[in-house]
Amino acid sequence: MSGTVSLHTPMRTGLPHLLPAAALGIACVTSFILLLMFRPHVPGEAATAAVLDTILLWNSLLPRAAIALISGAALGLSGALLQRILRNPIADASTLGIASGAQLALTLGLSFLPLLTGISRELLAFAGGFSAVAIVLALSWRGLDPVTVAISGMIVSLIAASLSVTLVLARGEYAMSIHIWGAGALNQQDWSGVVALAPRLAAGILAAALLLRPLRVLALDDSSARSLGVALQGVRFSILVLAVWLSASVTATVGIIGFLGLAAPTMARFCGARTTGQVMMAAPLAGAAVLFLADCLTQLLGPGFSDLVPTGAATALLGGPLLLLLLPRVHGFSAATATADAASRQLRKPAAALLLLAAALAIIVALVLTLSPTDHGWSVALGPLFSELLPFRLPRILASGGAGAMLGAAGFIMQRVTGNPIASPEVLGVSSGGGAGLTAALFLFGFPSPAIMLLGMALGSLAAFLVMIAIAGRSGFSAERLLLAGIAISAFCMAIVSMVLAQGDMRSYILLTWMSGSTNRAGAFEAWTAMITLVVLTAPLFLMIRWLAILPLGTSLSRGVGLRVLPSRLVLAILAALMTAISSFLVGPLSLTGLIAPHLARLVGFRNLRCQLAAAILIGAGVLIVADWLSRVVIYPYQVPVGLFAALIGGPYLLWLLGMKERSP
Amino acid sequence: MSRVQQFTRRTVLSAAAVLAATRVARAQEAGPRVATLDWALLETLLAIGANVVAATELRQFRQVAIKPDVPEGVADLGLRGTPNFEVLHFARPDLILNSNFYAWADPLMSRIAPVESHPIYKPGESPYLLAEQATLAIGERLRRSAARRMVEELASRLDRYKNLFARGDGRPVLPINLGDARHYRVFGSDSMFGEVLKRVGLANAWTGATSYSAMAPMGIETLASMPDAWIVLIPPHPQDAFEALAESAFWKALPAVRENRVLTVGSINPYGALPAASRFADFLAEGFSHVRNG
Repeated sequence: MSGTVSLHTPMRTGLPHLLPAAALGIACVTSFILLLMFRPHVPGEAATAAVLDTILLWNSLLPRAAIALISGAALGLSGALLQRILRNPIADASTLGIASGAQLALTLGLSFLPLLTGISRELLAFAGGFSAVAIVLALSWRGLDPVTVAISGMIVSLIAASLSVTLVLARGEYAMSIHIWGAGALNQQDWSGVVALAPRLAAGILAAALLLRPLRVLALDDSSARSLGVALQGVRFSILVLAVWLSASVTATVGIIGFLGLAAPTMARFCGARTTGQVMMAAPLAGAAVLFLADCLTQLLGPGFSDLVPTGAATALLGGPLLLLLLPRVHGFSAATATADAASRQLRKPAAALLLLAAALAIIVALVLTLSPTDHGWSVALGPLFSELLPFRLPRILASGGAGAMLGAAGFIMQRVTGNPIASPEVLGVSSGGGAGLTAALFLFGFPSPAIMLLGMALGSLAAFLVMIAIAGRSGFSAERLLLAGIAISAFCMAIVSMVLAQGDMRSYILLTWMSGSTNRAGAFEAWTAMITLVVLTAPLFLMIRWLAILPLGTSLSRGVGLRVLPSRLVLAILAALMTAISSFLVGPLSLTGLIAPHLARLVGFRNLRCQLAAAILIGAGVLIVADWLSRVVIYPYQVPVGLFAALIGGPYLLWLLGMKERSP
Repeated sequence: MSRVQQFTRRTVLSAAAVLAATRVARAQEAGPRVATLDWALLETLLAIGANVVAATELRQFRQVAIKPDVPEGVADLGLRGTPNFEVLHFARPDLILNSNFYAWADPLMSRIAPVESHPIYKPGESPYLLAEQATLAIGERLRRSAARRMVEELASRLDRYKNLFARGDGRPVLPINLGDARHYRVFGSDSMFGEVLKRVGLANAWTGATSYSAMAPMGIETLASMPDAWIVLIPPHPQDAFEALAESAFWKALPAVRENRVLTVGSINPYGALPAASRFADFLAEGFSHVRNG
């Protein structure tokens, strides 16, 4: 009896696992047949039309299908390799900064060496991607804990992305090609892309097959791997190079296809792949199938010859929700260690420290109000000049300071509500949710007023954060799942934004300006919005300190001490989402302030929650005010995104502090 | 030695005197100091000889719009999306001209000088007519008679071209701007280029939908769906894009390419005003007559 059960169990679990794989395969074949049947035909004189139709079939449709399969497979393989060697289920070209690094390198290349041949483009992309991943790993080398890697990856990505946006904005008209490319479009007009990529994929598969044994051993921990005679670092390094090279080649050829390296191995495991060998085989297949399906669908659903959306955006649209659905079943192969970091030191006089912080903030404000370059060199604006310039400088300082303060508070709430030290508006996809809301507002109203834009962003942020809380609650707030879900939501929302960006019309200009995050537009409306909402939204928080203290202990414990969990979470969620939306309306989505400020407050040594909250608010305001000042003086009179400087100031400092904390246990 | 010195001093002095005199004359004649954020208005102002003191993204303007020339002394306000208001303030304009597109900046700029708005691109309205109205209104405001002359001269020139093109092959024209080797942006009937085509009696091959006067990104394979058209490539485009495109089998097989119906014109600001329209019309006339003669 027991024998039959044990015989049947693998079959019962095996069969349902094959079903999704079969369904995916059938969907791919069906959509390709439909595409062949319903592909648009060339109008006009029959003979010419027939010739052109044939050319379109052989030189556009078929190579495009091939490149979809090849790119998907290459990205899937690269994702599987990265996840294996880093023992990190959320490693991927996008989370490790490879894609943004490659994009930055290519943007730089297009700007300064316009006549690039295919090969040098690929080399550039590889150099950029590899530098990014090297920086990410160097920043988090100690233990390569998945969460630290993901945070470093996100910081590096953000910095690279803001630098790219700055370059694009500075070059104006060339924006279109970068955005098409940023949204990942697979259109082909000959077989050159296929000819370039196919051998690379083949080489990648061959190398992966040769490295299968060391890969299998790497699944064990380092000491057992070493005792089995694997030259650990050498193997890791060569696989890393291989994986980066694969994804950088794809990026150089077709642009950024976000998310696939993450989704493909996850799907492979969902379809029943368990051993290293199975995952290595199934992940490229899954990647190829997903990209192929997305590409067929966008061609089928688009009007006439046009695509509905760029394919890279379409995969993120499909892949985001898919990953969220799969989340509870993901079998991570390492438990992420993201225990709430106990502050390594404690301040003896937190009140005095807070006063010191406030005084520092006041000095910063005084300096940035007066000090600035002009056409005739640096000058300190005093007297009449000061009052002349005040109407231009004060609103943006108030707007950036208010936004920084609210981001600090929102990050603080999110870290407490989810009980997770890496939660923040940027990490959880709440800022991107605001971007999706802004996009919706632009579509519904054409040229919406600032109030309507703000409302759209608030609704988008709230939706994103509520989804996050639902997921986090279900999966028991595991840091790894939370990050994965945040990445999925971000990818989904940014896909919506980049679809509009790729159109290159006036709406995309508004979105681009928002993404670049400039406080330059701040006037009376923005300044008042920042100040009033700062007071209205943060003041109640000081009365909710009890909730914030209890919620991180988990649902059952919170209930045990008599807290009504759902309403308290909901109220805090609404506050955090509103603060996120308003601050990303003011300074754009690309700042890390919401992550950095609460961390710094804790790491500096504020233990008492009330003081911690106040410190997070003050630090957030200070970081963004300094970032705003730098953004307008560095390449005067041109201006750089504020978020860039916020990430440049806060990111490295945060990583350094995390490193310090680990070293002094 | 002394002769040289004397010569130099005298020349320098007289030259300085002449310069000073002309500068005063120009300042008196030049009228109010104007500034603008919008490139369409900037080219209009430059074309009618207004006294422009500040404008946005001048480095890029000199590469994309090319003409009219921007005088050296004009202050660069930085990016169009993030103009530097402090620089604008130091340029001490008497009047700021703005368009609906940068309307968000009106409250901030009205602290510096009075702001007047002249829309050129509005959904559902002809940019050519709006550009004519804006040019005339600005000319009136700044007392520049050149404005009316420009409007009238361009209208009659487009009429002349209409007669010229009537003797052409009557094929539709597809005005596009390459994004990369596989994508382009097409300009519809509601774009400035579309308006010029209509006014010179040429059909626009793109009759599909547009979103604010252009449609992008279009896959390059869609060019096959318009086999009759002349393809007019309007730079700026990335330098490697056209080279990669020209190599491809698909491009070489296009009827327009095989029958030499591809025209690459000079760089034009796609969201320009009358000077951009005039540049486009001249390029078309020059290109088509070149094709016919050569």
